[in-house]
Amino acid sequence: MIRPIIILIVALAIGAAFYGYNTYNKPHTNVGESEAAETLLASEIFVAFDTNEQAAMALYSDKVIQVEGELLSKDLSNDKEPQILLKGNGDEGFVRCGFKPTELSKVLALTDSSTVKIKGICMGCNGSEELDLLGSKDVVLSNCIIIN
Amino acid sequence: MNKKIILFAAITTLGFMAFTNHSGGVYKTNTGNINFFSHTAVEDITADNHKVKTAFDAETGKLQFSVLIKDFEFPKALMQEHFNENYMESTTYPKSTFTGTIDKMSAVNLAKDGTYKSPITGKLTMKDVTKDVSTIATFVVKGGIVNAKATFTVNPTDYHIAIPKTVAAKISNEIKVSVDADYTHVH
Repeated sequence: MIRPIIILIVALAIGAAFYGYNTYNKPHTNVGESEAAETLLASEIFVAFDTNEQAAMALYSDKVIQVEGELLSKDLSNDKEPQILLKGNGDEGFVRCGFKPTELSKVLALTDSSTVKIKGICMGCNGSEELDLLGSKDVVLSNCIIIN
Repeated sequence: MNKKIILFAAITTLGFMAFTNHSGGVYKTNTGNINFFSHTAVEDITADNHKVKTAFDAETGKLQFSVLIKDFEFPKALMQEHFNENYMESTTYPKSTFTGTIDKMSAVNLAKDGTYKSPITGKLTMKDVTKDVSTIATFVVKGGIVNAKATFTVNPTDYHIAIPKTVAAKISNEIKVSVDADYTHVH
């Protein structure tokens, strides 16, 4: 009678350890393998954050979002994270998409002023009207991949 | 007539110099780096953000930062999840900002390559709590780019960041924050 109980306890302990190890080491979201929770235009997501940031945070943040928009420029000033800017709302704001350095060759292949589809994790909207020196506001997507 | 020509030439030359030496105006980047590091005997925790918005006014020394909390990337996804959901409540408080001044702006010669230092003082806001922060920044001017580096420490409890007792031994009371940004002249 004691033996099966010991086996059960050991099995449970191994199971708990396995679960704990996997939880502690769970991987980051793989954007390439994730379905987009929302698909929208870059201008639409920018307007959503510009109009009501809290509501947009609740709706889009932490989710894999696919956006389509006009590529304004590439920003390669930080070699740890190549970035591109999509047109958001004129000069008022943009959608800033950050890529892993491994995606650099694909980023370089993009053509300015072309329409691009990007998938990434929405982090929120950086900048504010009170910080006058910073200029435009950016809706930020990270860990992006290029769809086309 | 000669005096007028000389005066015109002098004004034109000074105007051209003022326009081209970039010693005034606003310097900015949208791709600054902020790293934070917590060291305890139990665990080291580090995270990086590479999309920091920051700018300074070269005339007044006014300095501003804005950083998205969710955009700090941790080596482990679980740490990132706990940081955002349990400690920073980053959906409710998505940004941290700093507004302050480069106190010895005149000591930083933006028109001449070199290394300069200046005290920085200002107010850091996280989770709707604002506290005074001061540090010394090092500015390296090279080829029109101004690299600024600075570090300071933050105590989580100052910003109402509640650390449960069960994990208190893993998170330092002195989080080291390192800033590294390459500014370029914008206007």
